[in-house]
Order: sequence, then structure tokens, then C-alpha cells
Amino acid sequence: MENILKALRLNLIKDNRYLYLVDGLKNTMIITLFATILGIVLGLIIALVRTTYDNTNGLKNSNAVLKVLIKIANSICQLYITIIRGTPVVIQLMILFFCIFTSRNASGVLIAIIGFGLNSSAYVAEIFRSGLMSIDQGQMEAGRSLGLSYIDTMKYIIVPQAFKVVLPSLCNEFIVLIKETSVAGYVAVQDLTKGGDIIRSRTYDAWTPLLIVAGVYLLLTCIFSVFVKKLEVSLRKNERTN
Amino acid sequence: MDKLLEIKELCKSFGDHLVLDKITTDINKGDVLCLVGPSGGGKSTFLRSLNLLEVPTSGKIYFERTDITDPKTNIDEVRKKIGMVFQHFNLFPHLTIMENMTLSPINVLKLTKEEAENKAKELLNRVGLIDKKDTYPNMLSGGQKQRVAIVRSLMMNPDVMLFDEPTSALDPEMVGEVLDVMKELAKEKMTMVVVTHEMGFAREVANRVAFLDQGQFAYENSPDKFFKEPNNERLKNFLSKVL
Repeated sequence: MENILKALRLNLIKDNRYLYLVDGLKNTMIITLFATILGIVLGLIIALVRTTYDNTNGLKNSNAVLKVLIKIANSICQLYITIIRGTPVVIQLMILFFCIFTSRNASGVLIAIIGFGLNSSAYVAEIFRSGLMSIDQGQMEAGRSLGLSYIDTMKYIIVPQAFKVVLPSLCNEFIVLIKETSVAGYVAVQDLTKGGDIIRSRTYDAWTPLLIVAGVYLLLTCIFSVFVKKLEVSLRKNERTN
Repeated sequence: MDKLLEIKELCKSFGDHLVLDKITTDINKGDVLCLVGPSGGGKSTFLRSLNLLEVPTSGKIYFERTDITDPKTNIDEVRKKIGMVFQHFNLFPHLTIMENMTLSPINVLKLTKEEAENKAKELLNRVGLIDKKDTYPNMLSGGQKQRVAIVRSLMMNPDVMLFDEPTSALDPEMVGEVLDVMKELAKEKMTMVVVTHEMGFAREVANRVAFLDQGQFAYENSPDKFFKEPNNERLKNFLSKVL
């Protein structure tokens, strides 16, 4: 017992070392939050392009310009997903950091947000696409036959239902994302993992900082899961019969 | 006679399979046209072509003198005036009955929420479902769902209503309540095109009955003559099985 308290004091209290973890946690959360938003927005757009292309046979009945546009957009999306999913996120981050944003004052956190956001969007796109495809074709037909445009039918009828279907998979994706941000240290971002690392290098104690860091990640993902569970229940209200 | 829909040499094929084979007919204002025939005969495909849910392979369809098969025609404008009721109801499960009914009038016809809700209440009253307005579709029986689907279409003040086997997915005891609503509509001179297996309904309500077989209007007549003197071998055969 005494040893544990001593280890905690050495790794956290002495020289205010806990601040490495607090600052790190702050960066981890900022990166996760904004990467999530970027991932969802971009992922949804990609999914909509891909589903529209598939559902309408490449807008078979529209004019030539739209047909060419959707074909190009669809090809770009497919290529994007292939490349992003087929390469490691650390490499993508390092390419962004060392090759693209080479300016000295580029912020590591911003690059991490862009990197993780782009990476996540490829996975989110496929998640959304599976959700959009799972909605019965009759829903689209009903919306269109009531005079709603394709975009309005998507917006009011298809996407809200698809969102409910994919919520568990989305939740899973973001638990992966929270943990994946632990490689942000590669591009000089001091995230939670890096914070723990710095403490280890000062105290030569590996157990304590690593266990604490692991515990914080576990806590974060648990809180997130509870939150999503609540959201799921409230979205499922209309499925209860009586 | 006031032509509402003019169909000229309508063809539709799925791959090598010819489903509609040069159908030409007119649908006049106030017509109640029932389409009967064996499955695979092209009834649903014909009906779904009328609001372009199926895009014809060739041929023309004019709705109120507009060529709806012309890619330049804004199909959303046309569909506003063509109501459609599906076999599987296709209510929106994530919206309440009231929201199901007002979504399109508010977004397409630009009614205010209040106007739309008042109109919805009136229609729900007519089909006896006003007390269901704040529930979700899953809490309704099949017959109730189909009645909601019908009045949801009526919210748009359509000039013609298309029914695609509206009672085929219903338990037998619920068929009557849906047919009653459709009879009411016919009485109010709504133009209707109905794909159905309900021969009783066709005989009682329609002014034209057509037998669709092998992609063609193989036989068409007034209901009286259609059922009494079917002048077509395949139709005789079909009627002997279903009557």
C-alpha cells in the first residue's frame, strides 16, 4: 500500500507531473471530438454520393452533365476509401505532418484532427452506406410519389432512419477512434499517451503512468458508450408497440 | 371527354424480358379503371410507369398534356398531382401519423404547419383515425395503416390516385375498411387506377376493367360485360380461377 502511494506521489504530484496527463487528455479529447465531426460530415457526403450512384444506376434518367459529374464523384469516393482504408493511419499522419503541412507553425493538434478525421471518414462512409442501403426501397418511392424531391426524401425520410440503424456501428467506430488517437505522439502532439510517456521518462517507472493512462482511456470509452446507449433508447421510442 | 392521362405505345423491358408491350390507352377524368390479371402480367409495372417510378423503355405518357417521359419535365411537379398507395403502405416509421401526413404538404405545397394539420385532422376524421394522430405507424393495424396511406396521398389534392394492390397485404377482415374508403373516393368522382384482385370491388366501383396479360391490355370492357361475357380465352381461364 505504502509503495503504491509512493509511486503515485512520484509520478503525479512531484513537480506537478499530473499536468502532463491533464494537458494530454485535453488534446486527446479535442482531437477526438473534431475528428469525429469531420469524419461524420465527410463520411455522410461520401455515403450519399455512393448510394445515389448505385440506386439510380448513375442517374440514368438525368441529363448528361449530371451523369458525368456523379460518375466522377463516385470514382473519386471509391478511390478515396480504397487508399484511406488500405494504409496505416500513422503513415497518413506522418505524410500530413512531414510532407504536406511542412510550415513550421502548423499546429500538430490541427494536423491530427485532419488526419484522424479523414481516416475516420472512410470507415464512417461505409457504415452510413450500409445503413442507407438497409432502408426499404418503398420509403424512397413513397417520398417521391408525394412530390418530395430526391434530396428532401433523403433528408427527411431515409437519412434519419439510416442513422438509427448505424448508431451501434458508429459508436464502435468512435471508440476505435478515441484509442487510435494514441499514435498522435508520432507527429509531436502531446496527447494522453505521450503525457504518460513523458512521466515515464522522468521517473523511470513504467507501471504507474501506463496503468493510469490505460484507465483514463477505459473511462472515456465507457462514458461514451453510456451516452450512445441513452441516445439509442430515445431514438427507438417509436418502435415500441403500445 | 377530358383526358387526364394519355398513354401511347408504352413499352417496358427488364433486360430481355418484355413486361409492357406497346400499351396505348387514355384515362379520362372521373374514370375508375381496375387492372386485373395474372401475376407477371405487367399490372404493377404499368401502374408504376404512370408516375414514373418505372421509367418506360419507349413510348409516351402525357399527364394533363405534359409529356412526363420527357427528361426535361420536372417529375416532382407532376407527382404532386398523382397520389399513390402501395401494397405495403410505406408509411414513414420514424414519424407520427400527423407528421407522415403533413411532411409533404409543408415542404412541397408550402402550407403552414397549422393549415396542414387542420387539413390532416379533417381527413383523419373522415377515415375514423383522428385519435391515432400522435402515434407511430407501428402501433396501427394493417387496415389502419392503409387508410392513413390513402389520406396521406389525399393531403396533396391529387388529380388522380394510383392504387397498387392496396388490400393484398391485409388480413381478410381488414380488406373491407380499406375498400370502403376507396368507394367513398370513387363516389366523389376521384379518378382512380387500381391494380387489384378484388373482383367484387372492380365489378361494383369501376367503370372500366382491363385484363393485363403478357404485357398488353388483352381485354377491356365495362365491368358488366367484362365479367358476364369475357370475350377472350385467357381471361375466361383467369376468371374461372379467381371467381
